[in-house]
Amino acid sequence: MTTRTMSRPIEATMTDPSLGLPTISMAVPMPGFPAHKEFVLVRLNDDGLLYALTSLDNPELRFLVAPPEPFFPEYAPEIDESVFAALNTKDPDRVLLLTVITAGKEETTANLLAPIVVDRDSMRAMQTVLTGSGYPVRAIMNRSY
Amino acid sequence: MLVLTRRAGESVMIGDDVVITVLEARGDVIRLGIQAPRDVQVHREEVYRELQDANRAAASPTDDAVHAITQMLQKPGE
Repeated sequence: MTTRTMSRPIEATMTDPSLGLPTISMAVPMPGFPAHKEFVLVRLNDDGLLYALTSLDNPELRFLVAPPEPFFPEYAPEIDESVFAALNTKDPDRVLLLTVITAGKEETTANLLAPIVVDRDSMRAMQTVLTGSGYPVRAIMNRSY
Repeated sequence: MLVLTRRAGESVMIGDDVVITVLEARGDVIRLGIQAPRDVQVHREEVYRELQDANRAAASPTDDAVHAITQMLQKPGE
C-alpha cells in the first residue's frame, strides 16, 4: 500500500528528536500533561505548515501543530502581556503562534481557543487560553488556502 | 475540602504566593480576585477541563492520521 511508504519519511524524522534540534521549554506545562516540559518541533512537510511538537521526556508523546495563518486568515488573537512575561519575550514580533491540531476520523480540527506561543529567542513556550475571545477549541480546518 | 467563610474584601492564602480575594457577593454570584505567580495558571474550571480534554484528544495521533493530514494540507496540484 502506497500510504505506508509515503509515511516513512515522516517516521524517519520522528524517531530521533534529539538531532541537534533546539529544545523548547514549556514555561507552564500543557494542561493534561504536567510532566512534559521539554519539546522539539519537528517539521513534517516541506511547506513548513505541519509540525510535530514532540516531548523529549517521552518521544511517544507528540502534538500536531501548525501556524494558524494559512488556514484561518481572520484569526487575530490578542496575546496577554503576562504570556510575554512568562516567555521572557523581548520582541513580541519574534513569537511564533501554533495551533494544536486534532486528527479525527470524521474531521480534523484546530484549537483556536488555546494556541501555543513560542518565543524564538528564549525558546520558551506556553499554551495560552484566549479567555473571552469566543474562539473555538475545535475549529474545522479549511482545506483550501 | 477546607471550607471557609469570608466577607467581601477578605482573602484566602494558598501556599506562600496565591491570594484569593472575595471582591463582591451578589445573590448566587461571587466575584473573586486572584493573585498568583506567572507559572501558576488560573482558569475557570470548565475551561481548564475542556482544554485538558482537547489536548488529550490531540496527543499522539496515529501515523495514518498524520499521513492523512499531511495529504490534506498539500497544496492543490502538488
